[in-house]
Amino acid sequence: MDISVCIGSSCHLRGSYDIIKGLEALIEQHGLQNQINLAAAFCLGNCTNGVTIKVNDRIVTGVSTENLPQVFKEHVLKALS
Amino acid sequence: MSSICMETGFVSLIKKGEELCGDRVATVNGEDCCTLVLADGLGSGVKANILSTLTAKIIATMMSNGLSVEECVSTIAQTLPVCKVRQIAYCTFTILQVSTNGDAYLVQFDNPAAILLRDGQSVDYDQTQKVICGKTIYESRFKVRVGDLFLLMSDGVIHAGVGEVLNFGWQRENVVEYAQEKYAPDISAKAMAAVICEACRDLYLNKPGDDTTVAALKVRRRQVVNLMIGPPADKRDDETMMQQFFSKGGKRIVCGGSTSQMVSRYLNKPIRCSIDYADPEIPPTAAIDGVDLVTEGVITIGKVLETARGFSSENDVSLRFQNKKDGASLISQLLFEEATDVNFFVGKAVNPSHQNPNLPININIKMELIQNLADCLSKMGKKVKVNFY
Repeated sequence: MDISVCIGSSCHLRGSYDIIKGLEALIEQHGLQNQINLAAAFCLGNCTNGVTIKVNDRIVTGVSTENLPQVFKEHVLKALS
Repeated sequence: MSSICMETGFVSLIKKGEELCGDRVATVNGEDCCTLVLADGLGSGVKANILSTLTAKIIATMMSNGLSVEECVSTIAQTLPVCKVRQIAYCTFTILQVSTNGDAYLVQFDNPAAILLRDGQSVDYDQTQKVICGKTIYESRFKVRVGDLFLLMSDGVIHAGVGEVLNFGWQRENVVEYAQEKYAPDISAKAMAAVICEACRDLYLNKPGDDTTVAALKVRRRQVVNLMIGPPADKRDDETMMQQFFSKGGKRIVCGGSTSQMVSRYLNKPIRCSIDYADPEIPPTAAIDGVDLVTEGVITIGKVLETARGFSSENDVSLRFQNKKDGASLISQLLFEEATDVNFFVGKAVNPSHQNPNLPININIKMELIQNLADCLSKMGKKVKVNFY
């Protein structure tokens, strides 16, 4: 599974760095290092909606440190199981 | 256009307790010839500042207009105000003129002898003595080579640490040794001046006992760096902007998410985005084959401008961006250190996402950033051109 986190200007200001660190921690916590390829991406074109990530081909917007565990569960863990 | 050019840079430390520097550097970097003057006024503070400013400016202006050193010296002798306490008008100076045909002309009056580093080693040069208006000056004429680095200094350099950490101060031979040690083929004039001034500041234990100035001139080949930021206001200009950007010789930097996607489409090469943050405040860089550096836009350039302001100021010895890997430091290294000529390609498209009032970025800020950065680079002696699309 490929996950990319937008690091464009707007998303950067809204906390891409924390989202990347958060995802790295979650991936390790669930022992998914071999199944997930985490990458950064330049602008994913959803700048007004908070940090945008792409899980395979699906765009998820408005990701924050608060909702990250929920987003991870819904879009990553569910898809993998 | 000539293939060699002169890069200059200087750093001054102000004597403790003073607000003005009594040393003054004046540079006139013309098409064919670069004139660098370092003047050190008698005493310190405002008097010394006036003396050295007059001296440096008069000499630089007259010499760069082709007048002789005799005329300069006699003008100064008749112009400088006489000090009431000491009953003399006194200001030491070093003049260095280097032409793009390789001729160097060095004139020295009472400053520590200028150092010439060739391939990193100090080399001696012949001097002829001459008396003008009662002042004994030393003239030298020789040919320069690409890579030659000249160091002009005020006596604050060789007095550094005197009576404190060193008995006799930091003598010229120690400065030569230190400069040879710190020399690297790609070190810039400003960085060399900063490195030496920083050593002086340490020897003075952060309290300079005298105004201390190092001015450096480096003979180097031209290096063009092109930087593109922002897509054009009109989509129909995309192709033109791309063609002009890629038709230029030199290195290429692309800044901004949409801009790099445009480049990626034009070159038909993917963007490989790094996930490693060298600095959490600055978005990671990316790579596209055919481009030397790809970074995010406004935040990174904002940082570059911040660094440029420090680097182009005369009292800053910090070289924060060196040896760092974040996008802003990488751009700084290319623009401040490597480039002699910088071309900006600035697209004026309005990014809809930046119109959000909660975000501290908008198109005006971007234009202002570029304009300010261009000004800083000109101040550093680069030839700068800004193209808008």
